[in-house]
Amino acid sequence: MKRALMMNTKDNVATALEDFDKRTLVSVILPSQEVLKEVTTKQAVPFGHKLATIGIKRGDKVIKYGEVIGNASQDIEHGDYVHVHNVKSNRMQMPEIWYREEE
Amino acid sequence: MKFYGYERPDGSVGIRNILLVMAAADCSEPVARMIAEGIDGAFAVTQHYGCIPGQMIANTLIGVGENPNVAAVLLVEMGCEGMPAHALGKMIKRSGKPVEWISIQELGGTHNAVIKGKQILKEMSEKVFGLKRKEFDVSKLVVGVKCGGSDTSSGLAGNPAVGVLSDMLVDAGGAVIMMEPIEAVGAEEPLAARALNEEVKKKIYKMIGDEEKRWSVPGAQMEFMCKGNVEGGLTTIEEKSLGAIHKSGNRTIVDVLENTDRRLEKVPKGGGVYLQDGTHMEPMAMSFMAAAGAQMVIFVTGCGGTFGHAIVPFIKVTGNPETYLRMPYDMDINAGTIITGEESVDSVGRRIFEEVIKVASGKATLGETLGYDNFSVFRTDPRLEALLNLNK
Repeated sequence: MKRALMMNTKDNVATALEDFDKRTLVSVILPSQEVLKEVTTKQAVPFGHKLATIGIKRGDKVIKYGEVIGNASQDIEHGDYVHVHNVKSNRMQMPEIWYREEE
Repeated sequence: MKFYGYERPDGSVGIRNILLVMAAADCSEPVARMIAEGIDGAFAVTQHYGCIPGQMIANTLIGVGENPNVAAVLLVEMGCEGMPAHALGKMIKRSGKPVEWISIQELGGTHNAVIKGKQILKEMSEKVFGLKRKEFDVSKLVVGVKCGGSDTSSGLAGNPAVGVLSDMLVDAGGAVIMMEPIEAVGAEEPLAARALNEEVKKKIYKMIGDEEKRWSVPGAQMEFMCKGNVEGGLTTIEEKSLGAIHKSGNRTIVDVLENTDRRLEKVPKGGGVYLQDGTHMEPMAMSFMAAAGAQMVIFVTGCGGTFGHAIVPFIKVTGNPETYLRMPYDMDINAGTIITGEESVDSVGRRIFEEVIKVASGKATLGETLGYDNFSVFRTDPRLEALLNLNK
C-alpha cells in the first residue's frame, strides 16, 4: 500500500511518500514505521505534499511536527489535499506572484 | 574520534590549505584573479558592495581571512578605497598566519601588481605547502549546517539525518553553527526550549523577530520562500522553519552569535550548538559561517543545488530520492533512503558523520571535485535597521 508519513501523533496532516492518485487508499505511518491508520485521498496528492488525516474546520490549526504550521482557510475533509489553497500562514503571507514572466 | 588537519599559529585547525587572494573591493577583483590564476591552492575572492562597504562586510572579510582553512592571505587594493587592504590585513595578521597586501596604484598599475602579487604568492606557497596534516580530536571541528532549495523531504529526511550528525558532533565536543534567521519564524518555541538560559532564550526571540520585521515591511512585497519550496510541498514559512531547524539536532543552544555592524562574534572555544545571526541566502550564509570559524558546511537540499564555497568545503545531502537519482554527481549523501524506507534516520546520520571525518581529513567533496568556488557576502542595510529601530 502507498504510504504517507506523519511526523508526530499530534499532527492532523501527513506527507505523501510517493505520488497519490485521487481515491487512493493510503497507509499513514509514523517515523518509527508503525502504521497509524488508513486514509483515502479525495484528490491527487503529489510526492512530498500533504493530505489531511482528519477533518480540519476553517480557522482551525494545521499541525505538523507537533507544531502549528498555519490555519485552515476553508473547511478541510480527511483525505483532502492540503496546501497553499486551503492553509494560510499565521506569520508571513507569501506574495501572489514570485516571478512575472513576459506575456 | 580523530581527524587529520593543519595546525594554525592561533591554535585553530584547518581542513584545507588555501592561499587566499582577497580584493578589498570588486574594482581590484580582476587583478586578484590574474594573480591567483595558475597557482595551486590559490582562490581569488572579493565583495560587491563597493569600496565603502561598511563594517559588516569588513568583519566578514577579516573573519574569512582568519578562518583556519586559509593558510595565508594576500590582499589587493586599488589604493583609494574607503576600506583599504592594509586595514583588513592588519586585523587578519593577528591570527599569526602570513598576510601581505599590495596596492595597484602604488605599484604602477595592473602589470606590476600582477608580477608582484604572483611573486608574494609563490613565496607564501613554499611556506604553506610544506605543512603536514596532523592528528586532532573531533572537538576541534566547527561545522555549519544550512539548507536550501528545500522541499518537504528536507524536513522529513535530510534535516533530521543532519540533526543526528549535529548531536554526534556536539557529544564528541565539537561545535555546530546554524544560520537560519528567517527559516526559524514559526519555530521559536522548540528552539527557545533548547536555550542554555533565559538570556540565550531572549536572544533567540530577538534574532528571529528582527528578521521577521525586515521581511514583512508593509508595502514591500518580499519573497522569502522560493517557487521550488512551494512546488516541493511546503505550504507556509512555519512548516519550512519547523523542518529546517531539525538539522541543528536536539542539544542545548549555548548562544546566539551576534553579526552586526558592531561585531561578528565567532564560535568560542568549546563545543555546542550556536545560532548565528545573518541571512538564509546560501552562499552568503556560508561566508558568515566561515567568518565565525566553521571549517565545513553540511548543506541539505530537496530540489538540488550545484554550488560550493571558496573557503569551506560542503557536503551536500538530499532527502529526496528522486533528486539523488537525477543529480548523483552533485549530491554527496543520499538521505532519500529514509523516504523509501530502506534506512533509518540514525543510520544516515552516522554515514554523514563518517563523511565529515573523511572530508575533514582531506577527502574532496563532489563540489570541490567539480571546482566550485563561490564567494559572496551579505550586509543588512543600515538605513532599514535604523528605520525599523533594530540596531539597539
